[in-house]
Amino acid sequence: MATGRTDVLRGTLDLLILKTLTLQPLHGLGVARRISQITDGTFDVKPGSLFPALHRMEQKGWIEGSWGESENGRRAKYYRLTAAGRRQLGEEKANWAQVVLAIGKVLEAT
Amino acid sequence: MHTWIKSVLRTLFGKARLDRELDEELDSYMAMLADEKVRAGLSPAEATRQVRIELGGAEQVKEKVRERRLGAGLDALFQDIRFALRTLARDAGLTLAILVILGVGIGANTALFTTVDTVLIRPLPYSEPDRLVIGLKTMGGAVSGPVSRVDYFDYRRDVEAFDQLALLTTFTEQFTVTGGGDPELVQGYWVTWNLFPTLGVAPEVGRGFLPEEEARGEAPVVIVSHGFAQRRFGGAEDAMGATLVLSGDALTVVGVMPPGFRFMYDADVWRLIDRDGPYDTQRDSHSHWIVGRLKPSATLVRAQTEVDAVATHLAAEYPSADEGKGLMLSRLQDYLVRNVQASLLLLMGTAAFVLLVACSNVAGLLLARGERRVSEMAMRTALGASRRRLIRQLLTESVTLTVGAGLLGVAVAYLVHHLLTKLLPVWDLGIHPPALNGPALAFTVLVSVGTGLLVGVLPALRTTSAEPVGQLRSDGHGTVGVRSGRLRGGLVVLQVALSVILLVGSGLLAHSMARLVDVDLGFDPANLLTGQVQIQATEYPSPEERTAFFTSLLEEVEALPSVETATLSNRLPIVSRWQDWSIRRSDQPPPPPQESFSAMARWVPPGYFKTMGIPVLEGRDISKGDGAGSPYVVVVSRKVAETLFGHADPLGHMVNIGDWRDCRVVGVVGDARINTLRGSPDPAYYMSMAQMGSTRLQIAVRTAGDPLLLVRPLQDLLRHKDPNVLFAQPRAMSNVVEGELTGFRTILFSLGLFAALAVFLAATGIYGILAYDVGQRRGELGLRLALGASEVGLVAMVVRQGMAMVALGLALGLAAAYPATLAMRHLVYETALLDPTAYVGAAVLLGAVALLASYGPARRASKRDAAELLRTA
Repeated sequence: MATGRTDVLRGTLDLLILKTLTLQPLHGLGVARRISQITDGTFDVKPGSLFPALHRMEQKGWIEGSWGESENGRRAKYYRLTAAGRRQLGEEKANWAQVVLAIGKVLEAT
Repeated sequence: MHTWIKSVLRTLFGKARLDRELDEELDSYMAMLADEKVRAGLSPAEATRQVRIELGGAEQVKEKVRERRLGAGLDALFQDIRFALRTLARDAGLTLAILVILGVGIGANTALFTTVDTVLIRPLPYSEPDRLVIGLKTMGGAVSGPVSRVDYFDYRRDVEAFDQLALLTTFTEQFTVTGGGDPELVQGYWVTWNLFPTLGVAPEVGRGFLPEEEARGEAPVVIVSHGFAQRRFGGAEDAMGATLVLSGDALTVVGVMPPGFRFMYDADVWRLIDRDGPYDTQRDSHSHWIVGRLKPSATLVRAQTEVDAVATHLAAEYPSADEGKGLMLSRLQDYLVRNVQASLLLLMGTAAFVLLVACSNVAGLLLARGERRVSEMAMRTALGASRRRLIRQLLTESVTLTVGAGLLGVAVAYLVHHLLTKLLPVWDLGIHPPALNGPALAFTVLVSVGTGLLVGVLPALRTTSAEPVGQLRSDGHGTVGVRSGRLRGGLVVLQVALSVILLVGSGLLAHSMARLVDVDLGFDPANLLTGQVQIQATEYPSPEERTAFFTSLLEEVEALPSVETATLSNRLPIVSRWQDWSIRRSDQPPPPPQESFSAMARWVPPGYFKTMGIPVLEGRDISKGDGAGSPYVVVVSRKVAETLFGHADPLGHMVNIGDWRDCRVVGVVGDARINTLRGSPDPAYYMSMAQMGSTRLQIAVRTAGDPLLLVRPLQDLLRHKDPNVLFAQPRAMSNVVEGELTGFRTILFSLGLFAALAVFLAATGIYGILAYDVGQRRGELGLRLALGASEVGLVAMVVRQGMAMVALGLALGLAAAYPATLAMRHLVYETALLDPTAYVGAAVLLGAVALLASYGPARRASKRDAAELLRTA
């Protein structure tokens, strides 16, 4: 395992996935690659966390999956953001901003 | 929300499709990952291998996805239940035993809950029943029963806490209906105009009584029941405006009450109490109940304060009648249920006890079963199941079991409940009969699940407490067996203790029953036919004509074959109750009301005491000479004589009856139980029938054989003598007396049944634990036999072990029995709560059953060949 790679912070995986899907629909591997790419490899999402999160979010109606064809001609399940997902993303962003602010304050105080 | 529900449903029921899609998705993921690696320069085979490593087990990923699906917990529960059903089906015998044991326990509780709920908890079937109160007369502060109608009108005028205050008679009257059809007898009672508004029940057709109709003779009107209107007129509408001749009075039907309406008594007609009489115009004549509806703003306390003020005022104004008299208000429902409350709560408590015994028994069975599954649990722990998961699985099993038992319990409840409503006198309460309904079923579900958790939690904790490695290595019954063995022993002790309490309770009731059956009635109930005879006042206007009719009737009845003697009375013992009038010495001034003495007033023809078997102790019987024109005479019972005259000779003295008539005492007879079997014999006095001139009397015929064979000849005789005479309610006195015991018998029977059930369960508990223990100690027993222990010694050893548990249970049970049986102190009759027979009987019976239960396993232990025992150990 390469150093500098960390597990996604507990509770933020949903936020990352939702954010990733705002630009375009992606399949599972696509989501993992995109997150890794954006964070310069800091976050490496393993299938063991990725798929449970994707399926749960799909059941909650935040994202919607449909089968399509990948760039290499493989059959793959693509997820896209729903209206409910967009609302959820807004909420999670706001939450995250609060957390960052709060932790920032704590760190400055010490 | 909608999406979520759909998702949960898909998790539960669309699992196959979801899993298939997941498989495909993971395959595609792996394929794309492999593609990436091939593009980066790896060989396809190497790429696939690395993908597999990175993924770290496709099955694990899939399991994680499944666990995080919405409704996954519910899905796991269903899986647990399915697994539980499979496991239980494998152990069919045990499962069946548990189902039956708990089914009976839960069923009995459901049935009793239903009755308790209906009778004690559910409101009466009248509008806003919480506001209904009943008023009882008090004398010198003590409750003494019915109320004076004259006092009532003062209360009605002056007390403001009531919306309505109504009056009704404390008895029903039998009216003869004549005109327009065959004559018939109907039950009815007298009410003030506002009884129906007080109860908040309106007639289904027509109107209620009007206030102005209370003035005498103002409007001769009557209100009839739905059933009577159907029967006599063919429908409620047809009854309206019809004329009904009730015992000679022509009345117009102005209203028909809705079907099912009932208050205090069964009745077909309701007549209006006239404000001015004609009878019962005395303030010290008490034969009515007061029923009131509180104003919404008023409390019982406030109403009582106002009533007290009026009572004080009345006492000042009418000291001769109302001195020391008061009116006590209580909630109508509390008053109505007071008689059955003790019995019902006792039965409910008993049923709860039986369920407890059943629970501890089943917990014992589950513990034993758990011991056999310790290895299975250890294996599953080793394979990664958490203890929490295993406990959940075991609890699911026991709850599945008890919910099944609950279903069975509903069937049991239906039967028991049927029996209860038949045998308990709940009908008399004016309360609709209990039914198995929503609350009852909710109760069953609650009890079933509660029971499941109760019986399951100990075995579940025990079974899963083993340390897996050691358990698997030895595959024996190590520490867990020993510890849960002790626990099961404790459960048996509990069962024995609870059974002893139930046995003691049954013993006390059985003893009371024996006393009641043996009770000396003071008269002879054997071979005695009883019935009502009523003649029409219009046909026999004078007292002389009435007496002549009844006297000739007795002569003709006595001429019938197999008749020994016949007699009449206004009220025969046990058949009819009360009618107590005051009696005092004429040569002394009237005592203050609170010290006045009343006794049962009866009027009889000559020969009554001989026919009834009541001994004449002094003086003479009523004779033919005591007719309408002769001096008034009375025969008093011994208690009356002692109360009024002490040890002096009462014969020849004058007594005043009901502040009405002075009579000379001509005889003294024995006291008899006139009202009820329970309680002491009632003081009574007997006047001459010929000096009363009643049109309605009760007849008693002493026969040589079965008294009921005489019903037909008697009916024929009467019809022949006068077709307008009514003869009703022919019953054998022995059946009437027996009927008095029915309610008590029911309670005794139920308690006995419950106790037997508890003893049986306790016995199986003892048997189970000893049989198991003997099985566990095969090796030890074999060794003992091989070393020369005798068979008898082995039997004694095992029995001793069983009896140790029993002794402890007995001690606990006997100690707890006294406080527990305090609840039934109102039910026992002439039996001490610490009755030694009941206690010794319970101990001996239980000891004997326990001995029997221990002997079986002990025999089996000793009947084995030492070599065989050692080989199989």
